[in-house]
Amino acid sequence: MKSLYFILGFTLLLVAAVPEDAHHTSRREAMVGSQIAARGVTDPATLRAMGTVKRHLFVPEASLADAYDDRPLPIGYGQTISQPFIVAYMTEIIHPQQDHRVLEIGAGSGYQAAILAEIVRNVYTMEVIPELGRAARERLRKLGCRNAEVRIANGYDGWPEQAPFDAIVVTAAAEYIPPPLLKQLKDGGRMVIPIGSPFLVQTLMLVEKKGAQITTTQLMPVRFVPFRGSP
Amino acid sequence: MAIDVPRLRLHLALAMISAAVIAYQIALMQILSVVQWHHFAYMIIAVALLGFGAAGACLSLLRPWLMIHFASLLPLAMVLSGAAMALMTGIAQSSWVRFDSLLLFTGISQLLRLLLTYCLYFLPFFLAALAIGMIFVHAAGDIGRLYFWNLTGSGAGGAAMTGLLWLFPPPMLPGLVALLAIAAAMLVLPEGRHGPVFSRKVIGGAGILPPTEGCAAEQHSGAPGRHPPKRWRRLLIVAALLSGLTAVFSLIRPPVLILSEFKGLSRALHLPDARITHERSSPYGLMQIFSSPALRYAPGLSLTYQERIPVRKSVFNNGEWFGAVVPRQEKEQETFLDYTTGALPYVLETRRRVLILDAGTGSLISQALSRGALQITAVEPHPAILSFLSSELAGETGDLFHHPSVSIRNLSSRTFLFLDKSQYDLILLPTIDAFGGASGLQAVREQYLLTREAFRQIWRKLTPRGVISITCWMDYPLRHPLKILATLAEVLEEEGIGNIRDHLAAVRGWGTVTILAKKTPLHTAETEKIRRFCRILLFDPALLPGLRTAERMRFNGLQDGRFFLYLDAILSPSRERFYADYAFNIRPATDNRPYFSQFLRWRSIPDLAGLYGARTFPFLEAGYLLVLLTLLQVVIIAVILIMLPLHFLRREGECRISVLLYFSGLGIGYMFVEIVLIQRFLLYFGNPIYAAAAVISCMLVCSGIGSLLSARWIRKRVHALTVFTLIILLILLHSLLLTPVLQSTIALPPAAKIIFSLLLIAPAALVMGMPFPLGIRLLTGTADQDIPWAWGINSCLSVVSAALATVVAVELGFVWVMVLAAVAYCITFLGGWTGLLRPEAFRRFS
Repeated sequence: MKSLYFILGFTLLLVAAVPEDAHHTSRREAMVGSQIAARGVTDPATLRAMGTVKRHLFVPEASLADAYDDRPLPIGYGQTISQPFIVAYMTEIIHPQQDHRVLEIGAGSGYQAAILAEIVRNVYTMEVIPELGRAARERLRKLGCRNAEVRIANGYDGWPEQAPFDAIVVTAAAEYIPPPLLKQLKDGGRMVIPIGSPFLVQTLMLVEKKGAQITTTQLMPVRFVPFRGSP
Repeated sequence: MAIDVPRLRLHLALAMISAAVIAYQIALMQILSVVQWHHFAYMIIAVALLGFGAAGACLSLLRPWLMIHFASLLPLAMVLSGAAMALMTGIAQSSWVRFDSLLLFTGISQLLRLLLTYCLYFLPFFLAALAIGMIFVHAAGDIGRLYFWNLTGSGAGGAAMTGLLWLFPPPMLPGLVALLAIAAAMLVLPEGRHGPVFSRKVIGGAGILPPTEGCAAEQHSGAPGRHPPKRWRRLLIVAALLSGLTAVFSLIRPPVLILSEFKGLSRALHLPDARITHERSSPYGLMQIFSSPALRYAPGLSLTYQERIPVRKSVFNNGEWFGAVVPRQEKEQETFLDYTTGALPYVLETRRRVLILDAGTGSLISQALSRGALQITAVEPHPAILSFLSSELAGETGDLFHHPSVSIRNLSSRTFLFLDKSQYDLILLPTIDAFGGASGLQAVREQYLLTREAFRQIWRKLTPRGVISITCWMDYPLRHPLKILATLAEVLEEEGIGNIRDHLAAVRGWGTVTILAKKTPLHTAETEKIRRFCRILLFDPALLPGLRTAERMRFNGLQDGRFFLYLDAILSPSRERFYADYAFNIRPATDNRPYFSQFLRWRSIPDLAGLYGARTFPFLEAGYLLVLLTLLQVVIIAVILIMLPLHFLRREGECRISVLLYFSGLGIGYMFVEIVLIQRFLLYFGNPIYAAAAVISCMLVCSGIGSLLSARWIRKRVHALTVFTLIILLILLHSLLLTPVLQSTIALPPAAKIIFSLLLIAPAALVMGMPFPLGIRLLTGTADQDIPWAWGINSCLSVVSAALATVVAVELGFVWVMVLAAVAYCITFLGGWTGLLRPEAFRRFS
């Protein structure tokens, strides 16, 4: 009899859960189609990761209904989870490969790290706000992202123990590029970083290192939270 | 039945509550600028000020009842307004009301919170305005004196609050103002059987109340009043005491101001070991010195810089980034600033005499010293930062501001340019669109340092080999660098430079571009030095004599390569066509339209929405859009408040249109003139706060005197005609002659300038104070029920015109604001001529 109740209860749980999950899945699929692929992101690995990682698990309860909207959402402490398209664009622009080691500065909710962890071998993400860093670490652990490591520290110095990196993704606006990050970028590596005024408009910039030569390319205007270490 | 309120006490109470309203408005502006951004502060205050319009509507509808209970309701309204003033900031800052400007576009809950904030701040204004309106209606026959005390009180309130801002932190200010409102109520508490609550003897003994004082009720035009029952008096005393205690409590335990979590300081406070080491309040804002071992400062740094970027203390004003505290560098000592595009002017040669405008925290002073400058003049208008840097932070800066080569001037940079006669080898302007983003929120802030006239003054201060250097952040869509170049190009042409390209150089890094204009043509050796500078630091020349296209994007690619086409178009003869075709307004700013960062053109909105999405693009030009939004809101509310009483007061009134035109025109005309005068005197005094305080106080007091004189001077219709003719003539004279007159006397000593300003403002202000009491006098006895409505119209239109004046100034310039002020007075006069000012209305005066 007990097992019958158990099966019945489990079935009821499933019935209750499936529509919710299906709802998010369909919204995620729509997000990938209409917000990301439609705007020119074509890298299959990026699109697959964006379609796999459950963005709604990275937003606060109050924003759950807006999780797949085409906009950044506040996550507390003056920080946001970036607009889905920007996350996908920044992922694609670093040309992520399966054997890559990627450093992320500004873990925030951990969403960008989770996307990268779907594609590359190792993700090292840093967050200066302890509360956010701990929450991101716990979230990534629960989701089984074993190849993503969170360090609660100021991103200025990068993560020298794990350097060099194939790519560095900075998800917070800065008005300078920290020299230690440039040093920790591999020869041939790519760094993407938003530059400019916080919460108004910044420019997403690609930094490429080829030997002694460093070039930058302005990519597109975006809005991000500021880089910790800049005012 | 007459109400036994001694006239002088009534007048004093009126002055005090008027002073409290203005002072509370300034205090709220300061508080909201700290917790949010000043545009949102402006928007909320504008709506809250419509409490005046609402009070007018309320008086129109409930006039008989309000007049019957005048003796009880007047002090009650004052007491409650005082209590509301003391309480509202704390309530608005509580977690269940507080809104965040940057989240307004993200959901309905924030909009509801904004609405609730409107309602909270509306209440004290409404109650205070109700008290003022009740006095006006109750003693309308004495309107000349009442208006005098009303205006004088307002002027004194504004001036006093300017002083208080130096002495008290913003959260304490509402409590102080509340005490003033409650004190006003105490003056008009109904008298008991054994004398007034405040003994006549005591007040008379202090010389305030002469023994022969008459009663205001002698002139009252309302319904017969009723003495309140004794228990009412007790209740009022209890209410006053409780309100007083609330105000005192808010002084002892002022509300904690919680900044928007997106303001620079809020974010910085999340850094490890972050703390505020010093803070100082002033009319310029709440300045705070911030320290954290994680805060570094190196804007636009070259990617070749290998050293560790040092940790710096930083300065925040009203929670927004102001600058970093940079230590003094010795001669030839390298700094990170040598690795930015801003080092360009020092590449050509050593600059002995350097002028730094809007020097801020002094980083450019430090750089100039390290590059061998022998005489540095730094101009900074913000007194609090100068005080910090030369006292508390002197150790951090290596006593930079006391260096024998450095001379500091505490003045607006533009005023300094008028006064100074020296010549300089290098003139540095502040970085445009510095971190903190001037692109949107600064849009409707006047920037007189970046106008064509200012650039011309700067150019004329250069020695023969001198240069101007301006650094901007590269924005997208491209606006700031284009506008700077356009301004320089036009000025150089005006100054008779033949081939302006030979005098200009621009160097672009990954984030910034520095534009340099040299008095003499750049020669080959200099252009080679610039090329070498670019090669070493991975910068690209954008403008240089003999520049090849391939050199322009060697190290730093651009998303929009048309930048170079735009630069070339600005330097070509087809510049005007480019201005007309470009999506944004990049035509140089002028002293008449000094809105350097306002680029929005209506046709560019689809471009912006395409780039950023409909939800986010407002932040691009947020300042201007918020002004438009404010205007829309206040117009809608004003129309409702003006039309509502009309609907309920259908009666035999035959000159309603005349009343509407008369009092609307006065509201608009007066405010337009006031706003333009503040702008004009801003340059004259070199200090926006003092300019505003001086102009507002002088105008209100002089208009008050005009109001006092109006009953004596205007007894016939022809007198009214004379007054209006004088007003219109004086406004037109001001619009034509004020700027040259002020420029020719700007070098006078400060005391002489103040006297001269009074002489300039007083005549116009005096006559402008006459039409309002005249209109009320004409309504008294013939259309008493229209008095509160008329007063409400005037209040509503004053608020509307504050926002409207900004829009007109942005779109057309300040000269047009003045012209429209004259038009408003014409409408006032013509509207009144056939109705309110008809001949028979004047008969009873003679």
